[in-house]
Amino acid sequence: MNMFSSCMITALVILTLPIIMSSTKLYKNKLYPYYVKTATSYAFMISMIPTMMFIYSGQEMIISNWHWMTIQTTKLSMSFKLDYFSMIFVPVALFVTWSIMEFSMWYMHSDPYINRFFKYLLLFLITMMVLVTANNMFQLFIGWEGVGIMSFLLIGWWYGRTDANTAALQAVLYNRIGDVGFIMAMAWFQLNLNTWDLQQIFITTNDNFNLPLLGLLLAATGKSAQFGLHPWLPSAMEGPTPVSALLHSSTMVVAGVFLLIRFHPLMEHNQTIQTLTLCLGAITTLLTAICALTQNDIKKIVAFSTSSQLGLMMVTIGINQPYLAFLHICTHAFFKAMLFMCSGSIIHSLNDEQDIRKMGGLFKVLPFTTTSLIIGSLALTGMPFLTGFYSKDLIIESANTSNTNAWALLITLVATSLTAAYSTRIMFFALLGQPRFSPMILINENNPLLINSIKRLLIGSVFAGYIISHSITPTTIPQMTMPHYLKMTALAVTILGFILALELNLTTQGLKFNYPSNYFKFSSLLGYYPTIMHRLTPKTSLTISQKSASMLLDSIWLENILPKSISYFQMKSSTLISNQKGLIKLYFLSFMLTMILSLLILNYHG
Amino acid sequence: MLKIIIPTIMLIPLTWMSKPNMIWINTTTYGLLISLISLFYLNQPNDNTLNSSLMFFSDSLSAPLLALTTWLLPLMLMASQHHLSKEPLTRKKLYISMLILLQLFLIMTFTASELIFFYILFEATLIPTLIIITRWGNQTERLNAGLYFLFYTLMGSLPLLVALLYIHNFMGSLNFLMIQYWIQPLPNSWSNIFLWLACMMAFMVKMPLYGLHLWLPKAHVEAPIAGSMVLAAVLLKLGGYGMMRITTLLNPLTNFMAYPFMMLSLWGMIMTSSICLRQTDLKSLIAYSSVSHMALVIVAVLIQTPCSYMGATALMIAHGLTSSMLFCLANSNYERIHSRTMILARGLQTLLPLMAAWWLLASLTNLALPPTINLIGELFVVMSSFSWSNITIILMGINITITALYSLYMLITTQRGKYSHHIKNIKPSFTRENALMTLHLLPLLLLSLNPKIILGPIY
Repeated sequence: MNMFSSCMITALVILTLPIIMSSTKLYKNKLYPYYVKTATSYAFMISMIPTMMFIYSGQEMIISNWHWMTIQTTKLSMSFKLDYFSMIFVPVALFVTWSIMEFSMWYMHSDPYINRFFKYLLLFLITMMVLVTANNMFQLFIGWEGVGIMSFLLIGWWYGRTDANTAALQAVLYNRIGDVGFIMAMAWFQLNLNTWDLQQIFITTNDNFNLPLLGLLLAATGKSAQFGLHPWLPSAMEGPTPVSALLHSSTMVVAGVFLLIRFHPLMEHNQTIQTLTLCLGAITTLLTAICALTQNDIKKIVAFSTSSQLGLMMVTIGINQPYLAFLHICTHAFFKAMLFMCSGSIIHSLNDEQDIRKMGGLFKVLPFTTTSLIIGSLALTGMPFLTGFYSKDLIIESANTSNTNAWALLITLVATSLTAAYSTRIMFFALLGQPRFSPMILINENNPLLINSIKRLLIGSVFAGYIISHSITPTTIPQMTMPHYLKMTALAVTILGFILALELNLTTQGLKFNYPSNYFKFSSLLGYYPTIMHRLTPKTSLTISQKSASMLLDSIWLENILPKSISYFQMKSSTLISNQKGLIKLYFLSFMLTMILSLLILNYHG
Repeated sequence: MLKIIIPTIMLIPLTWMSKPNMIWINTTTYGLLISLISLFYLNQPNDNTLNSSLMFFSDSLSAPLLALTTWLLPLMLMASQHHLSKEPLTRKKLYISMLILLQLFLIMTFTASELIFFYILFEATLIPTLIIITRWGNQTERLNAGLYFLFYTLMGSLPLLVALLYIHNFMGSLNFLMIQYWIQPLPNSWSNIFLWLACMMAFMVKMPLYGLHLWLPKAHVEAPIAGSMVLAAVLLKLGGYGMMRITTLLNPLTNFMAYPFMMLSLWGMIMTSSICLRQTDLKSLIAYSSVSHMALVIVAVLIQTPCSYMGATALMIAHGLTSSMLFCLANSNYERIHSRTMILARGLQTLLPLMAAWWLLASLTNLALPPTINLIGELFVVMSSFSWSNITIILMGINITITALYSLYMLITTQRGKYSHHIKNIKPSFTRENALMTLHLLPLLLLSLNPKIILGPIY
């Protein structure tokens, strides 16, 4: 019984050991990345014990220790919530991160600061663990902000490059807009329910949860890059590839969706917020899928596919199926991390070439990477009996059979079919056909660090969905009966997407647009959103702050109204009133006149 | 209280009698010892106050500020060593004596139990500060800055003297501890409105309120490092402290008199933080960020709920340490680059990696990363303003976003990017500087573990 909590705490403590170690001599050691990787793998194995126990007996637990402070009637203490979501998510995240760590030992081996890189990666993971296991909103917020700041550091890892710094700042800015929503929700809960503890929030009733839920939705929009706050996610590709893999699979971006899943007890009866979530998710999934269609940067395509999948998760929450959304988070982590690692392998092999137009024919030279990339892409599109199928198919089915907003659901279906299209595009251009890269490059993928890490995730991408969905008890009843055409929709649209994309790609061999069409421009310029929002808003706000706040108000009005005008009026009035005007001649003349006059009078008198 | 005051006075003979090479180390060490004594006052065993004598007392509001003041003296001494290294010995000693004198006045201000005594000391702190700014500043504009500093604060606080005399006349006493029990609700009349204004304006100028803040960036930019540190860390907090003390006398007028000032603060915090976005001058940026943070404190004090008072106290302490640290970092850049312009210092991370770590931590505390006390302060302020009016969350949210933006803008501009050629042969960072940053960060981190002691009177 006690194994449950103690094993979980052990797993979390093991993760912090390398961080503590970083103040000792071991940090200078070349083996430090290896220690970090091993610590992560141990943490994974140990965390499997309580997860197994949870799967077996279904027990949940809240650990409360270290009383931090009491503000009036609110007690704040460090407390961990070990329930369905955290118990399943922690091992998944640890497993994926373990592989990513091993991969980055290969990818970053020439970096002089590799030890610091690993420390950052681990801190990133730890903050995510804090977020997932937190039982009160303050602790959740620590993880929430920690993830944001660590992403800032990691995206801006190559700090000499302007692009990396801009991307890092962008990530923090968009996240910060979301944080405002989180802070508002915290303030609301504190004022109205007088607590930040999750279980207390859920048992307390209130008539109107619209305001805090809107705040949480805004927070999730920022963190999970939903429409409106989405441009930071593709920009985050400026960071090293392992960072992208970690950021997009098991940490950071799923935090927003995870937050909404956590607060689902409040959302499940609130139609307004659900509709908003549904529409937001649908718009995001379609827009980003369209953007992914015309990108040429391999990492950008994968990044947009993440954004699209996040939209799908939001749609799932919108149709009131949080457990399915959670399942999709878990399965998505495996193949998305693997897709990034495969593209990392390709990029590294081709001397940092990211453009898929300059690849081609890689299936001969990189057979293992090719296999993994294809399996990952198939899993992403939801090919039957791969990992993605178990969550994605259920999501599409329950979306098809629900009777909410049909437009949103239709949009989601279109986006699903587009998923297949852009996956085909990666495979077609990067892997098949004739080589278009420089023949002088020495390509070698036979590094155990690379092979093992991808292999582990490959197995995960094939089997994890089956294992997870069959070992946990179903918490929401899936739709049992439906007409066969609805059952087949998901598969049908995916296959449609595949075939169409393949045909279109084949036509590109022979035919070419003379000039890009407007649709193409819309897609390749990301729906004109960054062009508008990243120029207009900063320009206006910076101009306002310069012209009105700084120059007009501070330097002119405030300066003139008080200090300058006072000194001016003082000077004027003093010159006006004063008798002394420096007229020396006049003074002397009057002095002389007086003297003469007095002399004359005195003399005359005498 | 004499056990802090007398050692502080004795620091002056210590300075003058020390051997030339020992003046810094002696004063710093003894300053640190004195700050350890002040930590005792953080333990407030009963909810009320610790009365040391008829003149001095400390309660849970003044104790953290007292500890902050005494903690800052050794840090100021450490920070200004390089700045004064070329001065003759007598001037060094004079400078140290000025800092000690300032600390003495500040200690007595925070612990005075009589309002008129408080007022006299409040004004007395101007003198050493003025001397420090105008005598040891770097540029000619320092005289102008000193003028602004003196006149803004004096203009604000002279009406307070009149108001205090009036209050003494009808109350019979000006003792904080007693009049809070004797006070009657003030009737709503024009004269009482002016009484409110007279009492509050002195502190509003000191805080400073947006619109009356012009002296602050000037004074900060022109002051030597110790002057900037003490201004940002402690002198601004005098305003907040005074407001929290005196609002007890002014009820229920504050309820409606607060509106224009709340508006001005809420508007001003956005304006000043957006000014920060366009600053090229590092010290000026930090100064404007102080104005924006202090606007939060003004809002919190004017809302007058237990929660907002906790937020205001926590934010004052947090901001004191953070802004002082930022000024130290700016100064360490200045001593190497010889310019306050940020763009000239870009790419410093490559050359001074440890300093970059301090920059990172200071920026993160400035943007209120959880679980630092900055966040606790801001969170309480946001919470209380949210309960006062839901709409304020929009303004607060904008401010939170811009704060993060300019903190990271400052970090990226000074630390990231390619380094420029003129900074190739700069000095490495000294142990003294690293120790200085550690001594700023350590209290911030430790207080995050137990923020209760700086949450002020009610928790």
